[in-house]
Amino acid sequence: MSSTERAQGPTGGTDDGPGTAEFVQEWRNAAYNCYSSGHKFCREVCPVMQVTRNEVHTPTAFHANVVAMEQGLLSIEDVARDYVHCTQCGACELRCPNTLYTGDFYRFRTRTVQLVKAVRALAVDQGIHQPGWQRWVEETDRQRSEPVLGEVPVSQEHVADWAAGLNLPVGGETILFCDCEGAFHRTSVPRAAAMLLKAAGVEFGLMREQWCCGGPAAEMGYTDRAREFARHNVDDWRAVGARRIIVFDPHDYITFTEDYPAWFGDDYDFEIVLFVELLAELVRDGRIQLTRPVDRTVTYHDACRLNKRKGVHAAPREILRAVPGLTFKDVDHVTQWSYCSGAGGGLPIERPDLTAEISRRRVERAADLGVDTLVSACVWSERPLTEQGGKRDDPIQVLDLLEIVALSAGLAEEPA
Amino acid sequence: MTATLVTDPVIDELIGICGTDNVFADRSSRVNRARVPAPFPVHRWAEHVPDVVVLPTTAEQVSEVVKLANRHRIPVVPRAGGTGLTDGAVPLRHGIVVDVKLMNRILEIDLDDRTVTVQPGINMLKLNEELQKHGVIYPDDPASYPCSLVGGRIGTSGWSLIGGRYGHTRDLVISFQIALPTGELIWVGDGGGRKVRKSSTGYQLKHLFMGHQGTLGIVTEAVLELVPRPEAEFAAFFSYPDYETAWRSTGALAKSGLATLAGVVLFDEWKLDYLRRDDEAYIPQSDDVRCVVATAMYGTTDEVRPGARRLLRIGQETGGAYLGDEISQGDWASRHDRYATPLHGRLRDGQVVPMSWHCEDASINWSKLPQMRREWHDIVARLGDRFRIFDDWGMFAYTNGAFKPWGDYLTEIDVGIWEQELDDASWDAWVTAKRDIAAVAIAHGGSISACHGACRAGEVDLVPAELGGGWDVMKKVKRVLDPLNIMNPGKYLLDQAYEGDPA
Repeated sequence: MSSTERAQGPTGGTDDGPGTAEFVQEWRNAAYNCYSSGHKFCREVCPVMQVTRNEVHTPTAFHANVVAMEQGLLSIEDVARDYVHCTQCGACELRCPNTLYTGDFYRFRTRTVQLVKAVRALAVDQGIHQPGWQRWVEETDRQRSEPVLGEVPVSQEHVADWAAGLNLPVGGETILFCDCEGAFHRTSVPRAAAMLLKAAGVEFGLMREQWCCGGPAAEMGYTDRAREFARHNVDDWRAVGARRIIVFDPHDYITFTEDYPAWFGDDYDFEIVLFVELLAELVRDGRIQLTRPVDRTVTYHDACRLNKRKGVHAAPREILRAVPGLTFKDVDHVTQWSYCSGAGGGLPIERPDLTAEISRRRVERAADLGVDTLVSACVWSERPLTEQGGKRDDPIQVLDLLEIVALSAGLAEEPA
Repeated sequence: MTATLVTDPVIDELIGICGTDNVFADRSSRVNRARVPAPFPVHRWAEHVPDVVVLPTTAEQVSEVVKLANRHRIPVVPRAGGTGLTDGAVPLRHGIVVDVKLMNRILEIDLDDRTVTVQPGINMLKLNEELQKHGVIYPDDPASYPCSLVGGRIGTSGWSLIGGRYGHTRDLVISFQIALPTGELIWVGDGGGRKVRKSSTGYQLKHLFMGHQGTLGIVTEAVLELVPRPEAEFAAFFSYPDYETAWRSTGALAKSGLATLAGVVLFDEWKLDYLRRDDEAYIPQSDDVRCVVATAMYGTTDEVRPGARRLLRIGQETGGAYLGDEISQGDWASRHDRYATPLHGRLRDGQVVPMSWHCEDASINWSKLPQMRREWHDIVARLGDRFRIFDDWGMFAYTNGAFKPWGDYLTEIDVGIWEQELDDASWDAWVTAKRDIAAVAIAHGGSISACHGACRAGEVDLVPAELGGGWDVMKKVKRVLDPLNIMNPGKYLLDQAYEGDPA
């Protein structure tokens, strides 16, 4: 704690920076709906709160701060850092009684994730930056892809290295979008995706020049930058006549189905296909044959953006149950509202310690089931989960669902 | 506010005790620990902001913080979940908030002697996630079950929805360690054995340190009761054409003597009207359904199955219509989440506005319920006549006794308040109304609070009247144990304990 933090009195005045009044006006009633109920049922499902136990990291505080800003008690400067402590997993929204019991009737849903994004954007607008995020976005700007640490150097030149030898065309009606973590770090996932599509006879191509989807920048509050990435990608899709975009990364799926439509309005008419749902269909229809037994005992990690944000939890389970030889010890998707890898919302960049601890706990829950493998459907979750799984005395391997399916379809070999 | 007593050297001392990472003096950390869901004067938020927040991890750290506070004469306010419906955790004189949320470890599960030992910052739902692996649970089940913490349950002497079967917090906490207002750590229970449920040795100190709202120390560890995870749960909801019938039926059900009966809950006409404001989500019922009674049983299948048959018979013979398995099971399962939503707030002209849920509670005998209910609704109606920001959300009456669910009832009247429009005049009227509500409870031989605590503005004024000579004892105890008035000063009118002291 610095001495400048201490010096502030509780009523020492707050400076309303540009945009604060508009922000408060926009969010005051939504914030008050949380503030006034005071249930706090969101708290113990929040992956960050489970670790820090700090009330300023709760969805309740995220809403109460808006009320306090309206009362002149807090400014964006006072709270900007608190909002780093969110993976944007969406658990709090689901657990909110306002959403659960009256949301349909009043057409209201608690939107903590949107609020967090809005506060982060307000902070950036007022020149309050989190150093890690600022650097991350600047690097993304420079290389057109996120600066993920991987085997492949991040640059436009190498963005499709993962597809080496697969002879994938560029363009066409259907585009396979490969996110940055897959392109430069866990390349086995996009390779598996491409090989599975080919095996099923699905025609698809790659982008001429793929940039980052822009989602992470938007999550960190850099909305203008995010829109530049989005603009480029949409232009690239249009230039090759694309109609359908296949994504395997849940974060891209959120960006393409929530951010892009909000930014581009009615002009945005692409069909966004979630790979795991397409895959379940292909397996069900027999277009992908899972013939090779996979001798593993696994549990499935519900990717937050699929399960909590999009309600997608059935397809991954259907696929796993179709894999021969696999022993699948499932934990239901509602219990998993309180699970997370900690890899989302920019948390690993600003608070890698928290991401590591959230992942450690997730892996420990898997270990309690007596499994040897934790299967995820989110490539971003796999880095911290893999690290924690490997640190254990009884290591737990982390595989992507696509990697498992590629094994069973005879398209890949068991990892070393 | 006046000049703070919490100077930089004090903060350095706190850092020395709790560590750099667990001491917070920034504005957000303090502003967010000023309130609880109890009625709160939003427009006077700044008056309740503490000077510094600490998150200790051990009993020894708590003890040292309290000793430091005594040395510097700085107020200390303990905070667990901050979910209380009275304002125990709301600082009245700024000072140090001791937030125990980081003290959330399970220290021991003893399946032989059926206890679990925990730190005070653990939540019951999270605790039960661990316990149920062993076939046991800790059955303290307040409406805030998914978020309240064990320390706060002790600090408020909490009430459990299934207390008729398993007892309430005071019955379920076997013993605990507490940092006294002067910082010493002691254990209290029934006698001295930490896992002993019944003792005749000495004074019964456990009860003294239950429900003190932070005025007598900070709980640092607790030994809790374990019960077998219930094999069977049975819930039955009945509907009635009028309150009188529903009230008589409630009495008959509660007096049935069925040992597995965990609770009987009576919802009055106002409550049903409130829930029907959202007619897509609440029990679809015809207009002649005016009141509902909910019941629940827990135990072994061998006990619950025949008990349920008898319960259904009593409900139906006393005028109730069984609402069916789906409604009964579904609504009971959602008992924690269901009954108060700010989205239901209405002005008298029907306009929907976001309102805060405030609930006034009391303990009252069964025979007095109908009269008291009329008087309470009248008070809230008069309040609504004067200020449009108040809205009557109806009443509940729950069986209140531990293990023997008859005799007296936790009664609640829920009031929606549009806090965004709150000002001094309407706040003062609200405080007066709360005092009037409490006065009705006392006049009918009841108690101001069954579960929240009675230290909120308004009703707290009547605590001396309710307790009589007991109030003088309470003041003496406070003054002896907390000679410098360090623990949660100003709470519960306990400044009176020091009247006549040199400043």
